Amino acid sequence: MESLYVLIPLSALLVLAILGVFGWAVHKGQFEDIEAEGQRILTDEAPAVDADQDP
Amino acid sequence: MMPPAQPLAQPSPAAEGVAVLDDPLEQGRFTRWVAGPGGERWAESSLQLAGLHCAACSGIIEQALGRVAGVHMARVSAAAERATVCWDPDLTRPSALIAAVRRAGYDAVPDAAAPARALRLQLQRQALWRLFVAGFCAMQVMMFATPSYVAAAGELSDEMRRLLNWGAWMLTLPVMAFSATPYFAGAWRALRTRTIGMDVPVALGIAITFIASTGATFEPDGIFGHEVYFDSLTMFVTFLLGARWLELRSRQHAAETLERALARLPETAWRVAADGGVSAVSVQRLHVGDQVRVPLGQAFPADGVLEQGDTQADESLLTGESAPVPKRMGDSVVAGSSNVGAPVLVRVLRVGGDTRLETIVSMMRSALTQRPAAARVADRWAAPFLWAVLLLAAGAAAVWSVIDPSRAVWVAVSVLIVTCPCALSLAAPATLVAAARGLARRGVLLQRLDAIEVLATAQHIFLDKTGTLTEDRLQCSAVLLTPGAVAQGYTEASVQALAASLASWSTHPASRAVADLQPGQTDSGDWQQVHEVPGQGLGAQDAEGRAWRLGQAHWAGAQAPLPAGAQTPLRAGAQAPLPAGAQAPLPADARLVLSCDGRLLAGFVLEEVLRPGAEQAVQALQRDGVTLRLVTGDTAERARQLADRVGIVNVLAAATPEAKLAALIELQRQGHKVVMVGDGVNDAPVLARADASLAMGQGALVSRCHADAVITSSRLLDLVSARRTAQRALAIVRQNFIWAGTYNAVCIPLALVGWLPPWAAGLGMALSSLLVVANALRAGR
Repeated sequence: MESLYVLIPLSALLVLAILGVFGWAVHKGQFEDIEAEGQRILTDEAPAVDADQDP
Repeated sequence: MMPPAQPLAQPSPAAEGVAVLDDPLEQGRFTRWVAGPGGERWAESSLQLAGLHCAACSGIIEQALGRVAGVHMARVSAAAERATVCWDPDLTRPSALIAAVRRAGYDAVPDAAAPARALRLQLQRQALWRLFVAGFCAMQVMMFATPSYVAAAGELSDEMRRLLNWGAWMLTLPVMAFSATPYFAGAWRALRTRTIGMDVPVALGIAITFIASTGATFEPDGIFGHEVYFDSLTMFVTFLLGARWLELRSRQHAAETLERALARLPETAWRVAADGGVSAVSVQRLHVGDQVRVPLGQAFPADGVLEQGDTQADESLLTGESAPVPKRMGDSVVAGSSNVGAPVLVRVLRVGGDTRLETIVSMMRSALTQRPAAARVADRWAAPFLWAVLLLAAGAAAVWSVIDPSRAVWVAVSVLIVTCPCALSLAAPATLVAAARGLARRGVLLQRLDAIEVLATAQHIFLDKTGTLTEDRLQCSAVLLTPGAVAQGYTEASVQALAASLASWSTHPASRAVADLQPGQTDSGDWQQVHEVPGQGLGAQDAEGRAWRLGQAHWAGAQAPLPAGAQTPLRAGAQAPLPAGAQAPLPADARLVLSCDGRLLAGFVLEEVLRPGAEQAVQALQRDGVTLRLVTGDTAERARQLADRVGIVNVLAAATPEAKLAALIELQRQGHKVVMVGDGVNDAPVLARADASLAMGQGALVSRCHADAVITSSRLLDLVSARRTAQRALAIVRQNFIWAGTYNAVCIPLALVGWLPPWAAGLGMALSSLLVVANALRAGR
């Protein structure tokens, strides 16, 4: 039971951290245009190439 | 920046209107200045796009814009149909950007609403974050609270209980300090202005619950007892924010739809310089004394007098008068009315705020500020509720301090907690938001939620005529042949075909009505020397050299009376009231005649076209006990005729915007609530002052902007269904209030006598909120 004295404060801190990450995502606009990212693969831009491959 | 004025031989509105965008005055509306990487001055313009049909279109437009020399960056959002373009003012101009988009096969207009949208986005992100913080913390707090609900007596050590309470307290802090701030701010604002809104009891309830629970957490033997309510508190805040989030979204959705309709090219005027050259300039650059050319079909850019040419002006948006008004040289024309006769030259007399259009708009603004305050349902209850709760808590504390001083504070706090107005404060907003969503699906966009209440209860509806009950076009309802024409072997069909083919040469509303007699006819006949005489009619010669005229009776050479009894109704239900005598008492401008070499052949009866469903809508509203009144600026005769067709008894005709407003205020003074349905600029003041106002989706911008709701479908039957939805929503709000009231009535006495266990108070609070939200969702169906 003693471990709870560590785990409960830890979980509270974890929640605060998650809130921070979510706030960052919201303010970066991650949830505003959800459709477009899925369709980006269909546009005929130059395909991304890994650094160790020749273009 | 290059001056935009370049002499243009023949202005063509479609291509040259864009040049006005290069005027710095207009540019400022959709462009802001940013610093480039090297410190250069770059412009960043927002464009609204049209014609996108899939996400891939955004790539095509980005490439098209990127190929324009001087464009540094172009970003297109397919979902929002908007583009942001960063460009170098030394190398390119906005008109080139729009031209590039048009060459790619799409269309673009400047997007002046970008700053407003950025602000909205900010609000929306903030609201979403608040909701997430509250919701996520509520989940965690519930986890910490579970042991104390499920543990048997003595199973949970005091130490452990304190630890769990401490954890819950820790996670309630962000909810109190961040998520709930709108309620504290709202309560503070209300107190400062000495009014009591619903935010006050909410803020008080939250604050008291938090203080009592905090006391219980850190001093279990103190005056607040040892029970904590963090779980109920965070859940309550989450529910409230959830309702507020939905409300924000539906409000923003309405604003976006409106903005989309508002975005367009700036108003352009064709100014004639002293040397005769014509240049496209922004309307804001016009000065008194300028000479402007007004092409056929365009709006007059300013108040002025006709200098050259005769024409007709369609002033229906301004005055409600449905027939075009003839204008001769020297007559004055009004800004905002459109030129439907012939191209003319106008000398500007008044510009900007002095014009008649702007006068009506400013009248509307002042009417808007004087509109009777539609108190929000919940706010009306807030003050008595708050005082009752405070009195009860104080009374309980006083009584218990005599009976048992150790329980006095505890009982007062439990009264405040159990009455925490969750259900009460959720009852109205959640229901109204759900109803607004349901209405939006049916084509009625609400811009103000309070309008639902008025819409449901108002017993008087003012209906505008032109554009609201009727469409903007005329329709030919009957053709009359003269005996002479019959003797010459003409039939209705042949006369119709002849007239329609001649009429198809003109864009005048009356001509279009005649041309519509033969819809889909592409053959314009072998007419020669077709000429249009403004205000009179069309003349032409046929292949055999006979002179034909289609137009007003006195001009088409017809002194001969029209025949009696030769009426031919064109469609079922069209009862053109034709007299037995020759002199038909129809308004002269509602009738056209066709003549050949001065001999009268036929007459055409024209009437306004009712909107589909107008009659059913009027009947349905009257069945519901609503008093309808037709208010119009059109002549009494035409108004009466139309009112009889749809079945409206009460008519106010030939009314100026001032007279309409006076009629409305008179009715309001008698204590009635009035709903106005209109579309034109002349309706705007009445729309602004009415208790609730609905504008047609095709109406004037100024009306749509300030109406409480826009009927985007322009179907009048939607008004009937909107009213039913509003009534159902109001019934649900009442149910919710009854439930919340019953809950309080049962629980408060229990709390007062100290019988209500704290866990039951918290559970009751949460359950009543859930019930209210679930009930509210029904309103959207």
